[in-house]
Amino acid sequence: MSSPRPAAPTASAPAAAAAGASTASDVVIETRSLTKDYRDFWGRPKVRALKALDLEVRKGEIFGLLGPNGSGKSTTIKLLLGLLFPTSGHALVFGKGATDVGKNERIGYLPEESYLYKFLNAYETLDFYGRLFDMPAAVRKKRVEDLIQQVGLEKAKRRQLREYSKGMTRRVGLAQALINDPELLLLDEPTSGLDPLGTHEMKEKILQLKAQGKTIVMCSHLLADVQDVCDRVAILHQGELKELGRVDSLLAVKDVTQIRAKGFAKGLSSEAEAEIRAVIAKHGGSVDEISNPTTTLEELFLTTVQASDARPGRRAAEKK
Amino acid sequence: MPIEYEILTFSEWLLPSATRGGALLYFLSTFALLSFFGLLGWYVVAAYFQGPSEAFYSVAKVVYKAFSDDLPRFSLRRTLAMAQLTVMEAIRRKIIWAFVVFVLLLLFASLFLDGISDNPARIYLSIVLNSTYFLILLLAVVLSTFSLPNEIKNRTIYSLVTKPIRAGEIVLGKIVGFTLIGTMVLAVMCAVSYGFVVRGLNHSHVINAEDVERTGEGDSLAANGKSTSDARHHHKFTLDAKGYGRTEIAMGHWHEVEAVRDGDKIRYEIGPHEGLLVARVPKYGKLRFLDSQGRPGKGISVGSEWAYRSYVEGRTQAAAIWTFDGVTPDAFPKDRFPDGLPIEMNLRVFRTTKGDIVSPIIGEIIVVNPSDRAKIRRSETLTFPAREFVRSERTIPWQLKGVDAQGQVVDVDLLKDLVDPAGRLEIHIRCGQAAQYFGMAQPDLFLQAGETSFLENFAKGHISIWLQMVMVISLGVMFSTLLSGPVSLLAMFISFSFGYFSSFVTELFQGVFQGTDPVKTVVRNLFNIEEGTGLEGGGPLESIYRIFRQLNLSADLELGFAEKPIQYIDMTGMLVMRLLLQLFPDFSRFDNSDFVEYGFAVDPDLLLIQTVTALAFSASAALIGYFFLKTRELAA
Repeated sequence: MSSPRPAAPTASAPAAAAAGASTASDVVIETRSLTKDYRDFWGRPKVRALKALDLEVRKGEIFGLLGPNGSGKSTTIKLLLGLLFPTSGHALVFGKGATDVGKNERIGYLPEESYLYKFLNAYETLDFYGRLFDMPAAVRKKRVEDLIQQVGLEKAKRRQLREYSKGMTRRVGLAQALINDPELLLLDEPTSGLDPLGTHEMKEKILQLKAQGKTIVMCSHLLADVQDVCDRVAILHQGELKELGRVDSLLAVKDVTQIRAKGFAKGLSSEAEAEIRAVIAKHGGSVDEISNPTTTLEELFLTTVQASDARPGRRAAEKK
Repeated sequence: MPIEYEILTFSEWLLPSATRGGALLYFLSTFALLSFFGLLGWYVVAAYFQGPSEAFYSVAKVVYKAFSDDLPRFSLRRTLAMAQLTVMEAIRRKIIWAFVVFVLLLLFASLFLDGISDNPARIYLSIVLNSTYFLILLLAVVLSTFSLPNEIKNRTIYSLVTKPIRAGEIVLGKIVGFTLIGTMVLAVMCAVSYGFVVRGLNHSHVINAEDVERTGEGDSLAANGKSTSDARHHHKFTLDAKGYGRTEIAMGHWHEVEAVRDGDKIRYEIGPHEGLLVARVPKYGKLRFLDSQGRPGKGISVGSEWAYRSYVEGRTQAAAIWTFDGVTPDAFPKDRFPDGLPIEMNLRVFRTTKGDIVSPIIGEIIVVNPSDRAKIRRSETLTFPAREFVRSERTIPWQLKGVDAQGQVVDVDLLKDLVDPAGRLEIHIRCGQAAQYFGMAQPDLFLQAGETSFLENFAKGHISIWLQMVMVISLGVMFSTLLSGPVSLLAMFISFSFGYFSSFVTELFQGVFQGTDPVKTVVRNLFNIEEGTGLEGGGPLESIYRIFRQLNLSADLELGFAEKPIQYIDMTGMLVMRLLLQLFPDFSRFDNSDFVEYGFAVDPDLLLIQTVTALAFSASAALIGYFFLKTRELAA
């Protein structure tokens, strides 16, 4: 297993820099030298899954936890939820200990695979979780109907979850995480197992939730997805924090400048190109590449599927 | 009716008295001990992982949170949501139907039962009650031990515990849910069983005129005859001059027969069966003893027999005296009790000279007026034959001979002359043969005071099954908060056998602590063990040792350097067993099926005692389950 990027040697420096501007009330999640050992039957430490993690997640941001399999992402999320108890260190959510049940009033959790009761239908599932928040029946009914519509499951709401496809289950999972209109959402691999369309919808949904002022922590190893939605990321490897910071500043390549230009229907003329090279050379730079951008496969897939939805029965390519 | 323990009233049972500590005290002390040792054990385990000071902090925090947070924020809505989920799971996963099919199979199988018996009702009732009991407990065990471990395995618990539901609400919700499922299945079984018993016993006879021989003359309808043979039996009967009569008892029941004039012919009509499905209400008295000099005292112990009964010696002043309250003409109206006061006895006979072992020992019944100022002191001595292990029903006639204050023999009326103004009456039992003994305890002699509804009694029999089911469910859920499914199933069976063999373990425990060793004396005093009780031959290790040394059970062990440690290991082991026993209920004490099968009403106080015990036990199990679930990591 190798880290997708060369790992930064120290983790504490960016953490301290990132924490600079925040005030105490803004901090939603805080971990202090959070450590987790998995033990064997006799209580002897077997694996150190997380080593002295220091993190802060602030209100209103989308925070991504990245790392290869077994890097401690899920462990971190489970520690934050109180599903695991730390070996040492502290995990605080809304300033309370992570094992405090009271914090659950304000959070929503989408597990890695939607671990839901397969013998219930979507309506019953959401109604059940609503009851766990002590919602009165009338409020619950409205909220459940609303969520089912939001995730687009009106037609399937009376079918048992055992008959659902993976994508549908994921939607119910998201709906149950939103049942209490949480301030903080913890999403464990939100896009795993979804087709590109589902992934796109999920990402849209996450951005929408951010716009509503919610704080979101997601972990994923699908880097493109993280890049698209996250404000800040932390990269974990073998239980250690390797990199932490804003996505845009982490990814910015400072010594390369990119210029995009529009309006040339037949592409850039050779004269224009020569002029541009001359200007750059005059200022002491050199041109690496001048080319037409390619679109991503994801965008191509999405436009194709959308076009097919609009005009069923024809190949999208034939429309020209 | 072989009940061999004293039935106390609810207040006698609950509150302390001179002779016993009372159940309330017992519950409180058990609770205190359990809390203390539970917390201590928990602290020790936590200290092993976290270090002593951190462990103290974490244990204190959980206990504090239980009272400061979980208790005040308890939500009935969440608990019921959990219960409903549990019920829906059982129904949708169709666990129940497997059992319903099983029940039906079992019930139909028993249709092929051979129906010839002196008491067919008992066989029918025994089959339905036992199969119901077995199935319900199996259902309860399987459902309760596998549910939480499955949630952990399928990780549905992740979505559950990240909601504001409390550990206590999960545990309670599960228990309530399983109890609801069990109750539904039990109710169905109860109804099916009732129908099965009533249908199975239902039969009718016809009386053909040629089977009847008229014995009266003229207008008299007096006759002898017999019914047709149906359901593998027939009845003989005798009719009086008015044409009424009842058949002889066959297969535990009789029918009313009536001769009806139909023109110049006579028809004989026979009614439905009677006396099969009954719920007699026994009236128990208070027992005291006179010793062989006629002084008040305890009966004597006849040695290594079961200490439950006390014995009176024959041909001495020794007597067992039952005092009954409320023996009034209202309680025993002569139209319902035409022959006399019905009593039932279940005496033990202890012979010191065997002689003719077949012939019974003669016993004596004397009815005594408890009042000193009564004109009539006592009845004449009525004799009865007493056999070992045989219960006998007798009737003391309303009109009998008695002895007045002057010692004259006069005619007396039982209710008028031998009952004092407070409605009390004494029955003295003596043994009529020298060197023989009668053994008796309070429930061994009672008045058959009347009957209540059989259906109600049948339901009460099922309530005792229900109580055991609730206990099993609570225990199962408790185990499953800590252990995996198969392991909690195993733990269930172990605790069940603990409850089942509790009397054996108690006797073994008593036996191990017999002797002069100072430690043994301390433990004997602590547990109120009488000297000379319990099983001989020592504990498990000593027994093995005796086998190898070829020492029989009663041979004294020379306590050398090998034997001493063996005894101490046994003593420690048995002490632990005895303390564990304290935690598991004796399930046989909850079994009321004997009452129903033998046709006796279940005592309401007994039912109340069982209910309170079962609920106290279940509540403790739920509490322990709450702490287990609260303190464990749910993700692996």
